[in-house]
Amino acid sequence: MSEENLVIAVPSKGRLEEETRRVFGESRLPITRPGGVRSYSGSIKNQPQVTVRFYPAAEIARELIMGAVDMGVTGSDLIYEGAENGEASVVFVKPLNFGQANVVVAVPDAWIDVTHMADLADVASDFRLRHGRWLRVATKYVHLTRKFFADWGIAEYRIVESAGATEAAPASGTADLIVDITSSGETLTANALRIIEDGLIMKSEANLIVSKAADWTPLKKAQLEALLSIMGGVPPGTSTLL
Amino acid sequence: MAKKTPSERRGAMVRLVESRTVQRVTPPLLLPASPYLDLAGEEFGRQLLLTTSNNGIEYCLRPDFTLPIAKSYLDEGMQGVPGAYTYLGPIFRQENGIPVEYDQAGLELIGQPDASAALDQVLTFARWALAIYDITAPGVRLGGVGLFEAFLAAMGISPQWQQRIRHRFGHPVAMKRLLDRLTNPGPRISGGVPDARETIVDIVTDNMLSASLSLVGSRLPEEIAERYLEKQALDAVPIPPERVQLLVDYLGVVDVAPRALERIRIMSQKAGLDLEAPLATVRSHAAALTALSPRAQVMFDASFSPRLDYYTGVVFEMTGENGDILASGGEYSRLLTRLGATEAIAASGCALWTDRLEQEALLQDE
Repeated sequence: MSEENLVIAVPSKGRLEEETRRVFGESRLPITRPGGVRSYSGSIKNQPQVTVRFYPAAEIARELIMGAVDMGVTGSDLIYEGAENGEASVVFVKPLNFGQANVVVAVPDAWIDVTHMADLADVASDFRLRHGRWLRVATKYVHLTRKFFADWGIAEYRIVESAGATEAAPASGTADLIVDITSSGETLTANALRIIEDGLIMKSEANLIVSKAADWTPLKKAQLEALLSIMGGVPPGTSTLL
Repeated sequence: MAKKTPSERRGAMVRLVESRTVQRVTPPLLLPASPYLDLAGEEFGRQLLLTTSNNGIEYCLRPDFTLPIAKSYLDEGMQGVPGAYTYLGPIFRQENGIPVEYDQAGLELIGQPDASAALDQVLTFARWALAIYDITAPGVRLGGVGLFEAFLAAMGISPQWQQRIRHRFGHPVAMKRLLDRLTNPGPRISGGVPDARETIVDIVTDNMLSASLSLVGSRLPEEIAERYLEKQALDAVPIPPERVQLLVDYLGVVDVAPRALERIRIMSQKAGLDLEAPLATVRSHAAALTALSPRAQVMFDASFSPRLDYYTGVVFEMTGENGDILASGGEYSRLLTRLGATEAIAASGCALWTDRLEQEALLQDE
């Protein structure tokens, strides 16, 4: 592997890994992971100029934003969340038709008066007066939440960062409502939470993503174009955006 | 006339903040973050440069001077004593994830017996500061928070609607959404909905219990039921269309101050609202500003307000040739009570962006 190798970040486990390998495999670019699941580097058969690195999906987003890898597969939500304006540091080359999920605002189903974001704005504005503390929103999507709430003119709230099981936060009393990712909505329903009608923050999907921040030499740009043309479905000229 | 050098301008600025009638203060660079987050919420919180101590307490690099000055006024038990504080020094924020350091100067007048005179003193201070940088014709934008609150109160609409509208003041997008909603009311909740308060409280309580939500930890069943009924009532009795139109017209007023205020006077008079007193207040401060800098264009923008709800009375912004904000401030008589003052304490002040003032001075030199 030379300095000039094109570095592709691939999800290191689970369905995202399987689906990514399937997509590349279907383009006759089978990803190999010689060291097995415990190994974090691999390659693509017959593409010696490409290095594959395996990372957790959230880390792929950060590596792409920082330019530590050239290209990668991860959820678009993670790019938007990876840094404020993270999306400005990458090019979304191609949606891959898997990993679909929505980032949504959900409130306890018992809040029958809150059906729209405008209701939430009203509730937030006098929450502190009534309860002596800010309305609390549990989420791991800090940037997306702040931006969405600001667009709705909601300023009177605090974010409680949650690493996992966000949907349990209202019942456990650590937050009043949540912003979370959901594909079927079942987990939310099971926790007696309801998605606000205009509370869709973003539709997310696994994407093939190129980093603008990476160190792009003419040779690497040519390699990128060649690889994208093998994959198909991407108009030529992506490298001119870098 | 010989032009001043940057260091001479800086020297003049230091003399201004150290003049005999004021007390220059220097709050610490590292401050506990929670007062900022408590006061301004997430929207301002995202701009803080944070650091966390090993025991989990968050600190931030000083993002402004107003809060620490107001807080130490209370902490030192100065209530009842008029205070005039000035400052000059760096503040730190992050913008789009990039840390930035700015230099700010400013004046805070707290607990002054004559709030109106205090605001004029603030305007004079800003004017002098601009003069140091040879800026004689800034763009001035005035806003009337107090005027808008008086306007809403005079409109004779329900307190809930007043609150909803007031809450969106200064956020044009959210305000427009609300006005659209008021202009085109959506389908009403109709038929088959329980309307007895007790029934609704029972339904909500059952729902919360089965979801293992605490009945006291967050919004209470009674609170939810009441707001539900209130929402139904408001949908059933919307604001009369002519009042909505008046609101839209009011918020659309942007003009040279005397003309703008005259338009508001005429439209409110036609609608039978008495706004003479709050209009006179804005008029007198606008006149004071014009007297201070005859070459400045003093505009009144009816929809202009900072997004922090502790502002009251008159607010202002002064801009340079390329539209950069050079100075901003106004009255914020709700700040001290927000910070825990037991009685209302008048406060007003302004902040000046001295880096931008210096750039503006260089522009003028060219």
